[in-house]
Formats: sequence, structure tokens, C-alpha cells
Amino acid sequence: MTRSDEVVRASTVVAAAPDDAFRLFTDEVDAWWRRGPRFRFRPGADGVMRFEGEAGGRLVEAFDAAGEDVYEVGRILAWEPPGRLCFEFRARAFAPGETTRVEIRFEAVAQGTRVVVEHAGFEAFAADHPVRHGLVGPAFGAMMGSWWADLLLAARRRAAERSAA
Amino acid sequence: MTPAVDLDATLSALADPTRRGVVELLRARPRRAGELARAFEVSAPAMSRHLRVLRTRGLVEEQRGGEDGRVRMYRLRREPFDALRSWVEEVEAFWGDQLESFRGHVARRRPGRTS
Repeated sequence: MTRSDEVVRASTVVAAAPDDAFRLFTDEVDAWWRRGPRFRFRPGADGVMRFEGEAGGRLVEAFDAAGEDVYEVGRILAWEPPGRLCFEFRARAFAPGETTRVEIRFEAVAQGTRVVVEHAGFEAFAADHPVRHGLVGPAFGAMMGSWWADLLLAARRRAAERSAA
Repeated sequence: MTPAVDLDATLSALADPTRRGVVELLRARPRRAGELARAFEVSAPAMSRHLRVLRTRGLVEEQRGGEDGRVRMYRLRREPFDALRSWVEEVEAFWGDQLESFRGHVARRRPGRTS
């Protein structure tokens, strides 16, 4: 039930082949993931970002060396080097069980690799989405998800209309 | 990455299927209470209660219409949409900044491969 209008997109081109880009993106995530409260997950204390495991693992920010004090950003849903990486993304403000989904694609281009981020915020709240299986409050999440999805759709249409005018 | 609208108020207002339907209909254009009551086959007082909930939670507003200004029209308020657009822009900016940082990181780690 993915509707493309609900996805926030961003992209860039990096000067490395896709397999290198994928490795740098994942192995060295802490080096490039920006610091500070806007980007990290605990105010006033930047931890260490890392992808733990591959598919089925998780993206975390760790706040101690033992790895016991961690913020779990989300599960890794797909780990397909060199082309694709997909993980859940749970912001600090989200309620338990609420999550969004980020997909990263690494596409070979003449200058290196085009890195495309698609952040699907809202259809992931739907009760029938695999992400939600086993999580609490699916009805609540579905209602909220469809509400936000609808608002998002409308907001983007308005923005498109304004920029076209 | 925090939605800036009052989610609790929004959610409780939308906990009811009729009220969600009203929001759907009002997206197209403002409508009269009577028109909404007929669309959902509920009594005028029942629709009036639904509209009051939507109004007090800030989702819709009332305006006077008709030649003599005696017709009450209901329409969606802009603010939830504006709040949402800000949120989308925030997410876009978040990933734009992250990718810029990643691009710089790759350039530093792979200096010989700069295009």
C-alpha cells in the first residue's frame, strides 16, 4: 500500500563505487551521521551510531562501551550490498510501536554512486504492514497513520500547486 | 522530527469514523452541517455534536455563508496542514544535511576518486 506521495526523498552523488559507498555508509556511519540534538537521539549526549548485524540486526546509537545503554533507531529490514539498505527509523518523539521506514539505494553513475534516501513516514503505521506485526496498538497506529498519510498527501499537493502557480 | 500539531487532540477527534468521513468530505470544499448530516445519515443534532468536537479540537472552523449570512458552513482549518508541511520539510532537510555530510566523508576517505 505504498503511495509514492507519502515518501520524503533526498539524494546526492558521492565519488565512490556503489560497493564502497555502501560499506562507508554502514561501517562508518558514526563518522558521517551528523551530531547534535537535531540528528542524534539523546539530547546533550552524542553516542556512537552503528549498524549491528545485517538484515534482522539493528541501527543503534550506543552511549557506553559495553553496548548496554543504547537507543535502537530501528531494525534492519534489508541489507543488500551494494545496491540497497532498508531500516526502521524511530525518532525520539515517537510513541512505543510507532516507526517509519528508510530505504537507501546506491546506484552506479558516471561520477560514482547516486545515493537516494526515501523516508516513508506513514504507511508503515498501517496495521497490515509487516513492520507492525507484533507491535502494540495496531488500530491506534493505523488510524494515526492514515490521518497523517492523508494530510501529507494534501500538503504535498498544495505545495506542488503553489510552486506551479 | 516532532509533528507540531496537538496529536492527542487530533487523534481523539478522529477516533470516530463519522468524524473522519467529515474531514474527508471537507477536504474538497466547505459544506453545510445539513449536507454533512445527510451524507452520513445521522440526525442534525448528532452531526452538530460531531462538528463541535472537530471545531474544539481545531480541525474545522465555522463560517457564515449564504446571501443573508445565516447559513453555517464548515471547512478544514489550514494549521494542521501547515504543521505537516513543516514536518515534511524538516525530514527533507534532515536527510539533505545527512547526505551532504556523507558525501564529504566519502570524498575524504576516497580522495583519489573525486570526479
